[in-house]
Amino acid sequence: MLSDPIDSPTSAPTRRPSSPAPTQPILEVIDATHAYDGVVALENVTVTAAPGEFLTILGESGSGKTTLLRLISGLEKPYRIGALRLGGVDVREVPAFLRDCTTVFQNYALFPHLTVGANVEYGLKVRGIAAAERRTRARQALELVQLADMYDRKIHQLSGGQRQRVALARALVPQPAILLLDEPLGALDEKLRVDMQVELLELQKRLGMTFIYITHSQEEALTMSDRIILMRKGKIEQEGPPTTIFDRPVSSFAARFMGVENCFDAELTGVSGSDALIRVGDHHLIGRWSGRKPPKAGAKVAVGIRAERLRLARAAPTGPDLNVLPCRGGGAIYKGKYLDRAVETDVAPMKARIWDASAADGEPSCVWWRKDDCIVMEP
Amino acid sequence: MSTMTLTQDRAERAQTKRHSRLGQSTGWITLAKVFGVVALAMIYIPLLWLAVMSFAASPLSGVPFPLTLDNYRQLGGDGRWLPPLWTSVWLSGLVALVCMLIATVVGRSITRMRRPGGVILLTLLPLFVPGLTTGAALFIFLRTILELKLGIWSIFLGQLVWALPFCMLLILVIASRFDLRLLEAAEDLGASPWRRFWDIEMPILRPGIFGAGIFGFLLSFNELPRSLFLRGLETTLPIYNWAMAASQQSQVPIIFSLTTIILAVTLPVMGAFFWVLFVKLDKS
Ligand SMILES: Nc1ncnc2c1ncn2[C@@H]1O[C@H](COP(=O)(O)OP(=O)(O)O)[C@@H](O)[C@H]1O
Ligand SMILES: [Mg+2]
Repeated sequence: MLSDPIDSPTSAPTRRPSSPAPTQPILEVIDATHAYDGVVALENVTVTAAPGEFLTILGESGSGKTTLLRLISGLEKPYRIGALRLGGVDVREVPAFLRDCTTVFQNYALFPHLTVGANVEYGLKVRGIAAAERRTRARQALELVQLADMYDRKIHQLSGGQRQRVALARALVPQPAILLLDEPLGALDEKLRVDMQVELLELQKRLGMTFIYITHSQEEALTMSDRIILMRKGKIEQEGPPTTIFDRPVSSFAARFMGVENCFDAELTGVSGSDALIRVGDHHLIGRWSGRKPPKAGAKVAVGIRAERLRLARAAPTGPDLNVLPCRGGGAIYKGKYLDRAVETDVAPMKARIWDASAADGEPSCVWWRKDDCIVMEP
Repeated sequence: MSTMTLTQDRAERAQTKRHSRLGQSTGWITLAKVFGVVALAMIYIPLLWLAVMSFAASPLSGVPFPLTLDNYRQLGGDGRWLPPLWTSVWLSGLVALVCMLIATVVGRSITRMRRPGGVILLTLLPLFVPGLTTGAALFIFLRTILELKLGIWSIFLGQLVWALPFCMLLILVIASRFDLRLLEAAEDLGASPWRRFWDIEMPILRPGIFGAGIFGFLLSFNELPRSLFLRGLETTLPIYNWAMAASQQSQVPIIFSLTTIILAVTLPVMGAFFWVLFVKLDKS
């Protein structure tokens, strides 16, 4: 019932050339730097994307995500850039309206004086495509985002979720090589956001289009992406597939951003293989190094353990790969599906997650975790 | 009376909607109604009186009776007022057109400035300069200092200086609310600079642009003090009316009928124009 605009017979001059060889990236941003009135927003950032990839730019507000997207779309001219290629073609001097990518803006930026249909058609209209074909393709795109019956509505008659879909349809219709999405779900409520995440992902897989997706939500990034780029103050903090970023953050910033609850400072005393030996006060612990550069003994490091990997016990277990710290019980926070127990240790206050609430009775005397769950990283 | 019931209706709806403090006391509403009625009466009664008196045998007597078409007959027979009318029509049309153009170009650049405050003030300040002052100043500047021969072009200049700030005001009100991000969205979708203006910015600014045209026309069409200084040997309709009214007692009745005709034509035309602009285009 739903048909992709991509499959429709068309003579559009903008039709993508036969897809480039799989090894050639469809997007290359090399060494981009940008500043607004002396305020550096982006510093030596390099980003590449493969055709059909779902690449997420993750970072807190003000970290330069939108700036990066605007450099790609051409709406902002970079202060300095090594190279900027779309589909292997240098586009540094190509104005935004001639670049083969479209954007779903954070505020949607729908044209208030046009109908939904005219908004969606606009990208085709400026390419000189005949009215009949425009209409057909706009209707297909609206079907794709499940707004087929809204063609003649005015923008102000739509809800937030519907506007978001119109913005998506409008950006999809010209069939760009790359779709740029700037926190497209940010303004939607929780339930709608989760539904739209699934729909967007399905759409991207079906169309085989490259998505560059901006979000500040680590949960959204983890569920949707092929690869994540974590930004911090205009620089790339870490990049990799979701599992790498989730399990092996390179720094305490990355760890905290990815929701590692227990983070504290330590000193590296030695390295053997991938094992990192560390000392916090009088306690010696063992973990796995996950920083960028090979570590040196004596360096200051950060240690991170996820709450769900911490175990509470009344008697200390023993084993070569276990870290054990004595603890005093604190309060419990009820979270519905699970329970968070806060405990005091000599090292830092810690939080342990207990999935079986009935097992939370009693006072634990120690907290323990495996070597593999102990992330040692750059401070 | 139908407008009265309409305003009343609206006032009541507004009251129930907002429960404003003022709206609670009927005293204020009554006062507002009284002022409103008085103001409307002040505007329309003299106009109506003028129309009625244009049919009077001796308009200056203050008694409309006996009614007669003599004034109109006389007007039809006298052709002297026709050339000034045509001069005024095309001159005002030109002023309106140039106002629309300049105000649009300048207005949209002002809204793109970082700190537009000073420029806006400077642009709108001429609104407060008395007409005779502007006229005299331009006269001295063009005639005495530049030693140019005055004519239609200098009337045009004076009227443009007069109408432009109003037109700027109209455009600025609309343009300052225009979201520049819409142009970026259009650019992102592949629209060239010209298409961005034509498809997105112009339609949204259109009420302001047309409004500027209407006001430019009206302000120019009724302008007298500047034209008097800058006319050279030319005559516009306001100059003609003024000259007739000032010099020749016998011509006054004709002016009554002439102004009535102009009113009878312009009011419906302007009404229709506004209706198309704000009701029809808004719905489509
Ligand atoms: N138009 C602008 N003028 C001045 N500073 C800007 C502008 N846009 C962004 N910035 C600054 O650049 C930095 C990065 O902004 P942005 O790329 O929008 O971040 P993000 O999208 O990650 O929230 C911020 O410090 C922001 O204040
Ligand atoms: Mg942003």
